[in-house]
Amino acid sequence: MSTAGFPQAGPDLETRQRLHPLSPLLNGAKSIVVIVAALSWQTFNQLGAAHFAAVVAVLAIGVVIFSVVGWWSTGYHVVGRELRIAEGLIWRRNRAIPLDRLQAVELRRPLLAQLTGLAELRLEVVGGGKTEAPLAYLTVQNATILRERLLALSGHAAAPDLPSAVPVAPDTPLFQVRNQDLLVSQLLTPQAFFLPIGIAWVATQFVMEGSWTFIGIASTVTAMAGVLLQPIRRVLRDWDFRLGRDRETRLVLHYGLLETRSQVVPPHRVQTVRVNWPLLWRPARWLNLRLDIAGYSLPEAGGDDKSSDRLMPVGDIAAARTLVAAALPGVDLTALATSPPPLRARWLHPVALRFYGAGLAPSVFVTRAGRVTREMTLVPYARIQSVRVVQGPLQRMLGLATVVADTAGGRAGMARDRDLAEAWALADELATRARQARDSIPPAVPTPPFVSAPPSVSAPPSVSAQPAAALPPAPPAPPAAPPTGAPVTPVDETFWQRPSQP
Amino acid sequence: MSEPPRTVVDALEPWPDTVAWRPVSSKLIVIELINLAVWLAVLIAGLSVGWALGGQILWPIGITAVVLLGAWRALVAARAVRAWGYAERDKDLLVRHGLLVRHLSIVPYARMQYVDVTAGPLERAFGLATVQLHTAAAASDARIPGLPPEEASRLRDRLTALGEDRAEGL
Repeated sequence: MSTAGFPQAGPDLETRQRLHPLSPLLNGAKSIVVIVAALSWQTFNQLGAAHFAAVVAVLAIGVVIFSVVGWWSTGYHVVGRELRIAEGLIWRRNRAIPLDRLQAVELRRPLLAQLTGLAELRLEVVGGGKTEAPLAYLTVQNATILRERLLALSGHAAAPDLPSAVPVAPDTPLFQVRNQDLLVSQLLTPQAFFLPIGIAWVATQFVMEGSWTFIGIASTVTAMAGVLLQPIRRVLRDWDFRLGRDRETRLVLHYGLLETRSQVVPPHRVQTVRVNWPLLWRPARWLNLRLDIAGYSLPEAGGDDKSSDRLMPVGDIAAARTLVAAALPGVDLTALATSPPPLRARWLHPVALRFYGAGLAPSVFVTRAGRVTREMTLVPYARIQSVRVVQGPLQRMLGLATVVADTAGGRAGMARDRDLAEAWALADELATRARQARDSIPPAVPTPPFVSAPPSVSAPPSVSAQPAAALPPAPPAPPAAPPTGAPVTPVDETFWQRPSQP
Repeated sequence: MSEPPRTVVDALEPWPDTVAWRPVSSKLIVIELINLAVWLAVLIAGLSVGWALGGQILWPIGITAVVLLGAWRALVAARAVRAWGYAERDKDLLVRHGLLVRHLSIVPYARMQYVDVTAGPLERAFGLATVQLHTAAAASDARIPGLPPEEASRLRDRLTALGEDRAEGL
């Protein structure tokens, strides 16, 4: 069901394209490293250097041949509003990716790819637990053009002139992390604080034992590396973080040292924005922002160094405010008021009660939680998939309930332990607002900016002790379901009729 | 907080005046009881074998505990089944269930990705089916067990007809 009729602009994406000829070598290099690591030191000792080299060479040739065959049989092309990827020699696989389902596009350049001027293009589509279609590797220019093209096709039902051949317009920079801030911020993590303690502990061990065994040192080093690697990895990953906005208000993110990533996220694809305020960062008044996009692997599965969910690795409240406004148009981070749960919920949260809260901002649902690491979750109403009210036995005794706003990104906005009547009013209000947000806004167009009196930047959101300014008073519980039945629009065909596999 | 004069707040009956909750079939109680009986039989058989072989005092205690638990579950089964309820509003589907932990889900039709209609052997024997509505969020559970087949297919058709998809699904 290809809606033909798009101008044949751009290079020749309509015909089948191959990946860059160097890609089998790059892919092979990875495998060779893995193989050598698997062979290990022991094999090297057993075989001797010459034999070992021969084994590695044979394996390397095999891997390269394998990769070349893979490269030769892999191709991609754009048909209408679909990207089709064919791969495999014996088990052929043809994939058709409907571009209106595209969530975000990322351009990754691992070290080897940076040296050779290549890039990997990763498309995020909902449904796959992992990235659906990594195109590795293309030249940077081709990848950029293809990305522009795919995003243009994905954006609107009636795509305007495709800017495929046009050189990419410069983005307006919005935000940049200074590298020393990044370093300092990662030093201010529990892992980094663990370092001196760990060293001291190891030193005392050795002093007590009085001997320095090789095994002892090696095991200590590996144990420490596991803990310490995370901040280092974060520094390497978030190095030189830059965020901009292109002319269609999409977010453009660049970051990474060894592996640079460049990510383009249309704002209407942002499912949730999370604001974190770790304890150790509070003296510096720093925040951390993340955004969830449907299609990236779930937080539990991905770990935090694989997934590309950075919106701001570190920054102050003013920067956070700018970025939140860019990711969720019309939202002012400093103007988000929340109201705490009723006082009787202190039996469930003896320490952290006043850090919990929920609020209904004009276009987002705000929830807060956490004593040590304060966090705030913003869920745009238009992205809410379903609303749930859950009440456990303890909550029932206290007359409380938790309201959850589910999103496709895996994270949900949770208003914990609200008064039961308020919870229902809240759930009803969320459902109503979600519907209104969907009905009123065409999905591809951002909301009109919500103009509010800009409050002073000085008030960090997490200490806001405002009373229930944003929540509707509990009682009304307006009967939802306005009688006007909206006309049932025809069902989108791409959704129901999966493109037949050729 | 100041409770306004409105209908009494019952966790099982939110918005009783505006939402017409529909119960699931009471035949589901029988299914639940049969399920429970099968489990009990398996457990008790296992414990009895252990008692016959081992002969310690722990085994009969275990059997008693299992029987008591089973009796309690059987007593609660009817209430648990009556706790299931669903309501179709014109834009969203409401599902509530659970006695100990109570759940209420509000799923807009427009967010629907697909609908499952399933029926296990026991359900089939009693002429019942389960309808489940899936959205893009894995957490949203809108599962309605114990529906008569004609009601299940009516619900499925209605849901698919109402699931106006907006070209993005998200």
